[in-house]
Amino acid sequence: MVGLYLINRYWIRPVTSLSVKATEAAGNRVMAPEFSLTDIDGHKLDLADYRGKVVLLDFWATWCGPCRIEIPGFVELENRYRDQGLAVIGISLDDSVDPVGPFYKEFRMNYPVALGDNKLTALYGGIYAMPTTFLIGRDGRIYRKHLGASDVSVFEEEIKELLAAKGKEEVKGFQTYGRPASGEQVEVSTPAEVNSEVPGVDLTGLTRAQVEQYKKRLAGMKCDCGCGRNVLNCRKEDSSCQVSRKIAKDELAKSTKSKA
Amino acid sequence: MIFRRPSCGRPGVRRLMRKAGYRNMVKREGRECAVERGGMSAKGAGFALALAAMALAVRADNRPPQVQACIVLATDAVHAGSKVKMAVVAEVPPGFHINDHNPTLEYLIPTEIKITASTPLSVESVFYPRGDPRKFTFEDKPLSVYAGTVVIGALLEVSTSAAPGEYSLQGKISYQACNDQACFPPASAPVTLKVKVVGEKVRLKPVNQDVFRRASFK
Repeated sequence: MVGLYLINRYWIRPVTSLSVKATEAAGNRVMAPEFSLTDIDGHKLDLADYRGKVVLLDFWATWCGPCRIEIPGFVELENRYRDQGLAVIGISLDDSVDPVGPFYKEFRMNYPVALGDNKLTALYGGIYAMPTTFLIGRDGRIYRKHLGASDVSVFEEEIKELLAAKGKEEVKGFQTYGRPASGEQVEVSTPAEVNSEVPGVDLTGLTRAQVEQYKKRLAGMKCDCGCGRNVLNCRKEDSSCQVSRKIAKDELAKSTKSKA
Repeated sequence: MIFRRPSCGRPGVRRLMRKAGYRNMVKREGRECAVERGGMSAKGAGFALALAAMALAVRADNRPPQVQACIVLATDAVHAGSKVKMAVVAEVPPGFHINDHNPTLEYLIPTEIKITASTPLSVESVFYPRGDPRKFTFEDKPLSVYAGTVVIGALLEVSTSAAPGEYSLQGKISYQACNDQACFPPASAPVTLKVKVVGEKVRLKPVNQDVFRRASFK
């Protein structure tokens, strides 16, 4: 236990607050999946309307302490950089809008907040922890995914870089700040993957018989994530599980390859 | 070194590994607790410590932490018409916590036990322990939370009309886990208990005493 304490005290905690710079390889950033929602005030919230702006997209919940601590910082960022082209969008993953309205007022939130659902979180690769915050450039690409709470200065540095981009060109040499953590690699889904019979896997190229055969194979495979389910059920019941998604995708690629 | 432990009782390396998210080591989800036999070497203990440390890095396996839980009885069997102590033993993976049943702040989601009555068994009351006060970076005041092994006491009521035989009881522990930097969606872990009802003349043997020493029935 002493060992664990020391590791946490002197290794993990300090680096989470440390500002670590790293240059990200450019050229392979994915486009932020588009969505259309209605915010808690009843206004339309389309991501497409934000093209040309830098978007901070925050997945959070009112019952999440680390999310709550970040929000005043987002309010401040929206105030400070709105005129330069920043737009903060909050996606609450609360079960209902009931606690969100009072929270919105209490925290004096100055940016749109809408209630998210499983389809939206699946589009963004599954949100398994909160807060999860995406930074989207003026070009609509995702430049950074922050998993867990980060200091506002980390977001600010990255936002400044993205705001500096003039047109809708990809930002070259984007530098990330804060402690990079596993799980922050950006994986998004297409609507075809989200609406698939095997969530997260695009089955549009398969015949009905091939789909059934594929599902049968997945049903016979044990998922390694620890859920105790087979791969098919894991995909159906926990679309945020990247372990079962990889197995399912690999299995599809294998069978496609063998047919070719 | 060979050691003998109840799977929901004292800490051991395999459990530490399981807590660390390496759930393929021992998988008992939804199963009754049983006494297991396991082996541990010094090298193995070091390995387990390293794994547990990795789990503290929080997001290592890109999966929400899963609480493992089971129910145990204080006696090896029960009599019809009696009230018996039972306990839900939940293991929260290291580096994470779940909220107290009576959370410090209104916005936090409490930990709850729900056990479905199934004739001739029902749960009369549940006694949640007080959580440990812990300080987190996201709150000014310490929060009362459960971490590590949590033992929740309950009283099982056996109907007077219960015939000798084996019965089962099912339920779940609902929780919402967090660490200092992130929270995970509300989840639940199933629990199942097999209860043997025996005739009045059969003497009952106390079992799982190490668990019940930690349980509160107030």
